[in-house]
Amino acid sequence: MFQTVMASLNEGFLKTLEIFVLTLLGAFPLGLIICFGSTSQFRLLKYPVKLIVWCVRGTPLMLQLLIIYYGPGLILGNNWWGNGSSGRFTAAIVAFIINYACYFSEIYRGGIEGVPKGQYEAGQVLGMTKSQIFFKVIFLQVIKRIIPPMGNEIITLVKDTSLARVIAVYEIIWSGQAFIKSSGLIWPLFFTGVYYLLFSGILTLLLGRLEKKLEFFRV
Amino acid sequence: MSVLEVKNISKSFGETEVLKDVGFTLEKGEVIAIIGSSGSGKTTLLRCLNFLETPDGGQIIVNGETLFDASNRTLCSETDIRKNRLHFGLVFQSFNLFPQYTALGNVKLAGELLAKQRDDYKEQRRQILQDIEEKACELLRQVGLSDKMHLYPHQLSGGQQQRVAIARALALAPDVLCFDEPTSALDPELTGEVLKVIRSLAEKNTTMVIVTHEMQFARDVADKVVFMDDGVVVEAGTPEQVFGNPQQERTIRFLERYSEQ
Amino acid sequence: MKKLTVLMLIFVLAIGCLTACSQPATEAESDLAYVQDKGALVVGITDFAPMDYKDESGKWIGFDADMATAFAEYLGVEVEFMEIEWDNKIMELDSKALDCVWNGMTLTDEVLNSMECSNAYCDNAQVVVVPVAEADKYQDIDSVSALNFAVESGSAGEIAVNDLGYPCTAVQSQSSALMEVAAGTADACVIDLLMAGAMIGEGTSYPDLTHTVALNSEKYGVGFRKGSDLAAELNKFFAEYYADGSMLELAKTYGVQESVIAQ
Repeated sequence: MFQTVMASLNEGFLKTLEIFVLTLLGAFPLGLIICFGSTSQFRLLKYPVKLIVWCVRGTPLMLQLLIIYYGPGLILGNNWWGNGSSGRFTAAIVAFIINYACYFSEIYRGGIEGVPKGQYEAGQVLGMTKSQIFFKVIFLQVIKRIIPPMGNEIITLVKDTSLARVIAVYEIIWSGQAFIKSSGLIWPLFFTGVYYLLFSGILTLLLGRLEKKLEFFRV
Repeated sequence: MSVLEVKNISKSFGETEVLKDVGFTLEKGEVIAIIGSSGSGKTTLLRCLNFLETPDGGQIIVNGETLFDASNRTLCSETDIRKNRLHFGLVFQSFNLFPQYTALGNVKLAGELLAKQRDDYKEQRRQILQDIEEKACELLRQVGLSDKMHLYPHQLSGGQQQRVAIARALALAPDVLCFDEPTSALDPELTGEVLKVIRSLAEKNTTMVIVTHEMQFARDVADKVVFMDDGVVVEAGTPEQVFGNPQQERTIRFLERYSEQ
Repeated sequence: MKKLTVLMLIFVLAIGCLTACSQPATEAESDLAYVQDKGALVVGITDFAPMDYKDESGKWIGFDADMATAFAEYLGVEVEFMEIEWDNKIMELDSKALDCVWNGMTLTDEVLNSMECSNAYCDNAQVVVVPVAEADKYQDIDSVSALNFAVESGSAGEIAVNDLGYPCTAVQSQSSALMEVAAGTADACVIDLLMAGAMIGEGTSYPDLTHTVALNSEKYGVGFRKGSDLAAELNKFFAEYYADGSMLELAKTYGVQESVIAQ
């Protein structure tokens, strides 16, 4: 029995890991794009983007998952995600990426706006181009500023992946709970906590190491 | 021919006129000190020279070449502005060193980026970078920081940081070196080392525009003094004229206030 | 700032309208044709022995699962089982993520109102689950009136307890309800008789629980999208399937032959 449970939990954890990795891969760049949109001088871009960020940050992720997966079928009469688990997984990833990109965009914005104006001006008077200033001067300072808040969001994401179960994406909590219904076993559900702890522990270590790497300078 | 001619510069922020018809000339090797109370437009004038602000009217001419003319905006493309900036160096009140580079890195950075645009960069890469490095080391030696080259800004005192900033501004060999209240952000005991460096530059005939509150220093080091108040040049002349025998009521009151302190 | 407030207000109103307009539209076209056209019947289930559960190879079996497979064959399409979050079943159907839910579903008024249902095919009861040690005290409906119940939110059990006017706490699933009793956070819970058989007693995580009173009897049916013609098709299939004895034979395999309703 123990082996069956572990095999099932491992499978669920793999799904959790997939959600985690794909969300980060999508949300890092999308967040930067949203950040440029919400700080744009162009009002027709700025305000719609800010509206979207407000909606996404102002509603629960669980609700967003339900709307994104069931919305097309319910409102447009066309379930464009298709039947079966791959459609559910895709919808979950899309919801997670949008949600996390909006949070990331605000972190990026804080990081970029936190760099003193003098840094840009110092680059300008030295004849540097806008992109040289961004990549050679600003970028690393932004990275250093955003690592702590980004770390918090990343750890939150580890746990948020469990929300994908509301649209029947079989992540690790689902796998654990399945044993309650099928075999009357409760411990597999509680045991999933060990996976989460190990995973977030490793991430905390990695983030700490990154932070240490950037300790050579101060902003 | 003058190194720098500034003619009729005016600038407003919204309704507020910050500069009204300001002008002066500077010969090669001369030092000009701009004095005046806060809000008199000195810093804005300096920022206009470095193209951090665009004047609403007037001209800026360097070595006979018109870099800026408010009536001819064709000179205002981003590439032009970037090229024009290289005629000037600017030392900020708050240093603005790049924190992720060492003292040496700060001095080298702009030169290295600029060198990449050279046609012979690929073949001569090693030689070019070595020249830049040697030049940077020499500049840091001049400001007395040979032993601090590999330290990061946060490991340096304010005075040392400002000296690195001066070396950085000199690295691209500008025609005119500008200082925006270079000692205002420093503890009093640290101003001396920075002023000493500026003095030694003056002795080497570096052309400089210095906005400062250090009256004694201005008197010693400047060839010309400009007193500004409320966005206009109230009085200009040699230090002896402006400090010793001011003609304008406003200048006299300003200098009195300073000597009282 | 004022502009922003107005913008937000407009947006909230727009969402409200959209939601209001999105009431399930009555399907003009035939659901039967839709399913046959895509070649698959997607069946929503949960892990619920003996109706739907996995055998050792991971294949879905059970009284409901086997019958669903036979029905798909009768329609000439493939069957696909999808384990879902039971609370979302109506959204799953209306958004066409599923074609039917077939999972020992009690035919309550809510279910009949929100779905197109087949005829009832199986009897069930809602039973009270209490610790074995206290089972003697709670053998009739009156004796359990003072207990603090846990029930699955939206389940037939919740309705039964509410009808009696007893105090209860709604939790996420029948299994959570059981956990409440085991943990002592609720005195008793109300779950399906068929489920109680599989989940409590010797050999489970709940060896100390047992079921006592049956609160009501009820019937199981299969749910389709509102307005679907598949429900009528299933009734036809049930009639044939019962008539030739297949349904009873299948019921015997899973030990539910006494609950089967004649078609």
